[in-house]
Amino acid sequence: MHWRRWLVPLSALPVLALLAWGLTRDAHTIPSPLPGKPAPDFALRTLSGDSLRLRDLTGQPVLVNFWASWCLACRGEHQVLVDAAQRYGPKGLRVIGVVYEDTRENARQWIAERGGDWPNVLDVGSHTAIQYGLFGVPETFFIARDGRIVYKQIGPLDPAAIDQWVPKLLASSAATGPNVPEQPFAQGKSEGYVRTSPDFPATRGTTKPN
Amino acid sequence: MRGILVVVAMLAVPASTSGLPFRVLQGTASQADTALESRVREVAATLRCPVCQNLSIQDSPSQLAQDMRKVVRERLAAGETPEQVRRYFVSRYGEWVLLKPRASGVNLSVWLLPLVMLLLGGTVIWVAVQRWVERGTRGSAPAPGAAGVLRDVGELRSRRSALQASLKELDSEFDAGRLSAADREYLRQRDQAELTAINEALKQQKKAAPEMPAPTPAAAPATAETAGGRRVPAAVGWGAGVALFGVVAALSLKGSIVKREAGGSITGTQAGEAPRPTSGGGGGRGATFGEVGPLDSLRIAQLEARVRRDSTDEPALIELGHLYLTQGRLRESAQVNMKAVQLAPDAEGTAEAFAHMGMILWSTGEMDGALRSLDKALYLHPDLPEALLYRGIIEFAGRRDMKEAQATFERYLAVAPPSANTARVKAMLEATRASQTP
Repeated sequence: MHWRRWLVPLSALPVLALLAWGLTRDAHTIPSPLPGKPAPDFALRTLSGDSLRLRDLTGQPVLVNFWASWCLACRGEHQVLVDAAQRYGPKGLRVIGVVYEDTRENARQWIAERGGDWPNVLDVGSHTAIQYGLFGVPETFFIARDGRIVYKQIGPLDPAAIDQWVPKLLASSAATGPNVPEQPFAQGKSEGYVRTSPDFPATRGTTKPN
Repeated sequence: MRGILVVVAMLAVPASTSGLPFRVLQGTASQADTALESRVREVAATLRCPVCQNLSIQDSPSQLAQDMRKVVRERLAAGETPEQVRRYFVSRYGEWVLLKPRASGVNLSVWLLPLVMLLLGGTVIWVAVQRWVERGTRGSAPAPGAAGVLRDVGELRSRRSALQASLKELDSEFDAGRLSAADREYLRQRDQAELTAINEALKQQKKAAPEMPAPTPAAAPATAETAGGRRVPAAVGWGAGVALFGVVAALSLKGSIVKREAGGSITGTQAGEAPRPTSGGGGGRGATFGEVGPLDSLRIAQLEARVRRDSTDEPALIELGHLYLTQGRLRESAQVNMKAVQLAPDAEGTAEAFAHMGMILWSTGEMDGALRSLDKALYLHPDLPEALLYRGIIEFAGRRDMKEAQATFERYLAVAPPSANTARVKAMLEATRASQTP
């Protein structure tokens, strides 16, 4: 008969377990279904007006970085991207900035002030952002050679994340991807990506004194 | 004709870059449009806005929610079912995006648990009622009274041993064949029930007894424990439960608490956020949650301050013109756009101001003025998508010059980056072509 006294405390155990599980999770973390899946393709205009198609880059590891000039966290992140492009660019890493809910002018000015020689595309109407399940900026997608998303960084990139994931991207094989020529944008409209000169020549000297 | 109606229906969509023309057209298109719109609303109401807190994209005023509604509309217009549209969003944002979780897998417990609880509770009540009824029908039997009437511990104890003895006797009676199985079962249940009642009563007595010599609450359980021998009183169980709960909650909360820095966001940001200087309210990382709507007004206030400081701040003027336009503040938009035009009438950057003016003029019925303004915009910036779009719409819906409209839309599609407008322009282009072939 006396098992009854334990009925109430015992029935509290599942509740406690549930609370313990729920409260120790970070409520801001929302699992993304995208890692492991092929990166959604997009064809957008770069800030300089060229068109850029992600699919044309298959075979190369790509960082797709969503940003906006109104996003403060992106400012700190930008230098990390500049460093990453410098360090890993020669090894084959490609960086694409996707400008999210921003104007061409603002984005241009931002790049002119802060540097960065990778192409930035304008995502008018946020179609690409939605395709990538974007919650806000900055968010960065690490795409392997076979065109699959390997990792999604929510929030600003830090050098540790770069050093952890980019070597994996560089080591990834394109075996499962489509046949990719050595120089995929040798001709055609994807020229925008291989332009060595950035959208804004560094000579413009618009860096503000502060 | 029906084709055009559908196209016009698709135009009735407020677009980020050109909310006005679509809204203006809405009046001419309401019929074909309502069916699609109500389906859009239906689907949008089930999808969670990523930059808000527990708002559906139907209810959220944020830019991203608007863009998502546009995607919903496009997909529905393209013939997808509401379920397919939802599945698309789930494939991008995860199950999280559904305001109502799917009834499958672990989620099923959300549906089943209440049912299980209801059944359990029902069973408990049913059993309890059965017992009461049983006691009530026994009438003359001493059992129901036992707990109530026999207050004395001694009496209860003696009655208990009597019952225990009679229970044993039942078995021997049955073994001896003097009792039918049914009778034995009935008597056994009756005596057992009484025994239970007596045990309960004895327990009550035990609990009550120590309070007389030592009424302090702390002493009560301790005495009860010594008196109750091996039995642990319920109070200890409860105490342990509450303590465990406290410990678990404290440990869990410790990990969840993030100290807010001075001036930090209440909603918990990862990094500082600045109000965004573009049209629409997007929301940034972290700070995104909940503070999306007012960003436009915030940005407007910022820009207004900039213009007050420096009335020749051309970019600020043009951006203001755009923001006012999207908010339907035509007069103010016209003012700042005019100012921008006056400042640098021939600069490429002013093309946008001319495009805005064109839109404003058209919405006030000044079609010729609107076209002139758009001509100027296109003269300054031949491929300005905004100007091409507005011009195409005026040619299409205003002048009904399908040939011109076709050319403009083709140009728009050639130069404009793919956007929410692309599908609509394509549809309009289709309609212009259809209307030209007899």
